[in-house]
Amino acid sequence: MKKLLRSVGACALSLALGLTLVLTGCEKAAEKPAEKAAPAAEGPKTGELKVGFVYTSPVGDAGYSWAHDQGRMAIEALPDVKASIVEAVKEGADAERVIENMARSGYDLIFTTSFGFMDPTMKVAKDFPKVKFMHCSGFKAGENVSNYFGRIYQARYLTGMVAGSMTKSNIIGYVAAFPIPEVIRGINAFTLGARSVNPKAQVRVVWTKTWFDPALEKDAAISLLDVNADVIAQHQDSPGPQEAAQQRGKYSIGYNSDMAKFAPKAHLTSAVWNWAPLYEAIVKEVREGKWTGNRSIWWGMDKGIVDIAPFGPMVPKAVADKVLAKKAELVKGEDKIFVGPIKDQGGKIKIADGVKAEDKELLGMTWFVEGVVGSVQ
Amino acid sequence: MLLTLHKREEALGRGAPVVYLCALALSLCVCALMLALAGKPALGGLAVLFRGAFGQTHALLDALLKAIPIFLCSLGVALSFRMQIWNIGAEGQFALGAVGATWAALTFGGQPAVVLMPLMLLSALILGALWGLIPAWLRLRLGVNEIISSLMLNYVGILVLEYLVFGAWKDPLSFGFPMSPEFPPAAQLSRIWPGVLGKLHWGLLACPLAGVAYSVFLNRTRLGFELAACGEGERVARYARLPYGFLVLLVMGLGGALAGLAGSIETSATLGRLQPTLMVGYGYTAIVVAWLARLKPWPIAFTAFLLAALRVGVEAMQLELQIPAAFGQIMEGAILLCVLAGQFFLTYSVSLKRARPAAPKASPQPEEAQA
Amino acid sequence: MSPELIIALLAATVQAGTPILYATLGEIISERAGVLNLGVEGIMALSSFAGFMACHLTGSAWLGLAVGGLAGALLAGLHGVVCQVFLGNQVVSGLALTIFGVGLCNFLGTPYIGQSTDGFHQFAVPLLADIPLLGAIFFRQDALVYLSYLAPVAVWFLLWRTSFGLGLRAAGEMPDAASAAGRNPQRLRFSGVLLGGLLCGLGGAYLSLAHTHLWTTGLSGGRGWVAVALVIFAFWRPGRAVAGAYLFGGVMAFQLRLQASGTNVPSSLLLMLPYVLTIVVLVFSAARARSARKNGPTARNSAAPAALGVNIEPVG
Repeated sequence: MKKLLRSVGACALSLALGLTLVLTGCEKAAEKPAEKAAPAAEGPKTGELKVGFVYTSPVGDAGYSWAHDQGRMAIEALPDVKASIVEAVKEGADAERVIENMARSGYDLIFTTSFGFMDPTMKVAKDFPKVKFMHCSGFKAGENVSNYFGRIYQARYLTGMVAGSMTKSNIIGYVAAFPIPEVIRGINAFTLGARSVNPKAQVRVVWTKTWFDPALEKDAAISLLDVNADVIAQHQDSPGPQEAAQQRGKYSIGYNSDMAKFAPKAHLTSAVWNWAPLYEAIVKEVREGKWTGNRSIWWGMDKGIVDIAPFGPMVPKAVADKVLAKKAELVKGEDKIFVGPIKDQGGKIKIADGVKAEDKELLGMTWFVEGVVGSVQ
Repeated sequence: MLLTLHKREEALGRGAPVVYLCALALSLCVCALMLALAGKPALGGLAVLFRGAFGQTHALLDALLKAIPIFLCSLGVALSFRMQIWNIGAEGQFALGAVGATWAALTFGGQPAVVLMPLMLLSALILGALWGLIPAWLRLRLGVNEIISSLMLNYVGILVLEYLVFGAWKDPLSFGFPMSPEFPPAAQLSRIWPGVLGKLHWGLLACPLAGVAYSVFLNRTRLGFELAACGEGERVARYARLPYGFLVLLVMGLGGALAGLAGSIETSATLGRLQPTLMVGYGYTAIVVAWLARLKPWPIAFTAFLLAALRVGVEAMQLELQIPAAFGQIMEGAILLCVLAGQFFLTYSVSLKRARPAAPKASPQPEEAQA
Repeated sequence: MSPELIIALLAATVQAGTPILYATLGEIISERAGVLNLGVEGIMALSSFAGFMACHLTGSAWLGLAVGGLAGALLAGLHGVVCQVFLGNQVVSGLALTIFGVGLCNFLGTPYIGQSTDGFHQFAVPLLADIPLLGAIFFRQDALVYLSYLAPVAVWFLLWRTSFGLGLRAAGEMPDAASAAGRNPQRLRFSGVLLGGLLCGLGGAYLSLAHTHLWTTGLSGGRGWVAVALVIFAFWRPGRAVAGAYLFGGVMAFQLRLQASGTNVPSSLLLMLPYVLTIVVLVFSAARARSARKNGPTARNSAAPAALGVNIEPVG
């Protein structure tokens, strides 16, 4: 059997290799005309528009990918748009292959929705100049790549105001996923919001190094409740922390979508994504031939891409009014969240008085503002 | 009427491919059934799977590319499994290999490729081997079970990688995201023939080299024979005065080095920098592959390729049929279980006889399966 | 740390350790019978969903628990069929089982994400809960935690004090001897696998029914793998399994609290703690076992069942 297995293996592998080489020739012949037949990049795009989405987690998680998928469904409802997904794609080599397959299968526009897809997107984009790529949450762009994201920190600031108003112990717990700028920026905005209404408030951070482990994230929230936190916020895709707050009779603040259904008695509000306006706008651009690469699209509350969920019944009207007044400012486009003076954890001024932090600074934020307790790593 | 089993006098020879094909066909039937239950075209779906895995040049190349790290890790663990050392730490050794390669790439970045590449490989091999030697040493000196220590070291290895890219090695230009600076071109394995062979890179060369070395080592060297003899267990080995301890260190070190090699190839060729996203579980897949292939090099290569192709094909199915990712997992699990069960018929035959087989055995006790 | 915080930490330890304890005990039974089941992660995942669904549909937490356990036994039965009937390699079968189980529950469960169920809730045991310190740690938990206090004793009794347990262990140590003694080692092994799967299933059901009260993908979160490792840590003995599960749960709970109280140690290093500590403790206990071995015939106490992972070949 040993011999036979070996020879079978040998035959099969050499067959595969041989086939590869033979087919290589055929493919060259077959693929060239197809590429020529592809629609020109410029000018309006008529007929069916094939849009692809690549997600890093399963859509079912009611979290980050789910929020993107809501946006995808909005554009699928548009006439002549086919919007497909590949979910649970591991960032790295697998991502490159999935994106490349999409580009090869004639997709016109591809959204890659996670930071880890940045380098793979850039690599594939180089090989498929006619396909338009949109990468979410990164910092690279190219001829046929633009990146996009939403200013969720604006929503975080508002939820921070709610938390700061509702806390009695002046300790707010924050269950956080990974120490990357997106999360750090959110924690900072949240803390600034909380301290704008309650200067004594402090925000304690626990890193779980998971995006999605409901039981662990619940345990993390409990550990924060144990050190007297009475409001739990989260940058985490699972509803575990909500559950913990409700069980202890404390308050919670959700993320991604309205998390009220997970903890109706605890849930104050959530910072939520609403990708539909952005996705619709991009599809429209492509339709009209106005889409260009090399852009960084970073929309905020003024465009409706981020928002806060309806307040829970325990939020007093006075608090709600104050938060809504601030929200009205943001909706008008007046974003003064990261305007100095802002100090870091050590009390050192990081953003000078009256200066507004540039987007570039926000994108690469790696320090905590004053009022956050915890390690930034 | 009862089904009776007979152990084949000689393991199935020519019929083996038939057995495998039948098992594969059975598992594909299961998949088709599940597709139908999910309201998707059953046969069409399988056609998409096949096309996505084997039907196009780029698919074959992608599968080959994905098979490289699986093959190397699998060879590494197979070596230790042969002497009943249960090294399941390929994942952590893979991570440490990547860390080693990155260290060299960042430290000697200015050197030309001829200097830099060997340095990267060397440090990857050393770090991977060291990570493999820890459980070996713990077992020999302190009697700590290597399954648990190598498994725990997987988690630790990945966290070491994370610690470095979240901290000391973070690229100043990455806006605070956890990734090392991009390697200089001299530290990136180049593609063999970009226009024709797609993303296939020179790391592929490591596979035949490692495979041949593995065969030669086991079949042609004295140590290889001794290693095979140790497969009977520690007591037998020590009784036969074989250098058991040395061999344990050797297989764990070599296994770690192979996994480290895979890690360095993956960082250098596919990512071009160190990132936590490097870790996708090849080290665990490698264990499945090693056992499914019964620890033999050619079957390992073949199985690694098939499993990689299956995963590539499932992605195509996901895109074309819009089935959830979980469906691909169910299929992979079902296929593995069917093929595994099918291997039974390589060593046993089933016949529809009512009585016991004529040939008298020392303790005739036919296993009875329900008809 | 204040005393209240330490009590809270220990209570959290018990809670975090409970699902791991159930799964570890289940795997101990399976391995004692000679069958290595690496599918614990898949079993826990599937059971967490099955238990949740049953409770969600009927409103009965106990029924949910039963269905969760049953689902675990069923999936483990698949492993049993592949390994016992078709003599498949136990390592591959277990790993395939994990892939299959995780995939299956994610596939079936996606529509039910976000729905919650009543499940089990914490309640104080009368009298016992008022014991200083111990009461707050052990007796203000939920019913499944209380049940888990009995489980190791039950498993120990089953394995070492019943004729069935004797046969089970014989099937794992010397199947030939078992069959010579007139037992059917195949049947014994199969029941060991099923029983083990049942307990792993209870661990999975604990997660959805008592811990989170809802089901989402990824609920088992690697706890099944920890359980597989802890079986070795426990030297295949229920008593040590308790120590292992609580140690692991405790260190996890501790590092979270260390972060919550505002430390500046990078989280990657803190997260390494449970894994490193497991090895360290193992080093010490292995060293002790070694010195014990030199002194007397207790060597087998810390070794794996002799026929673990070796399938019984039918003779014919």
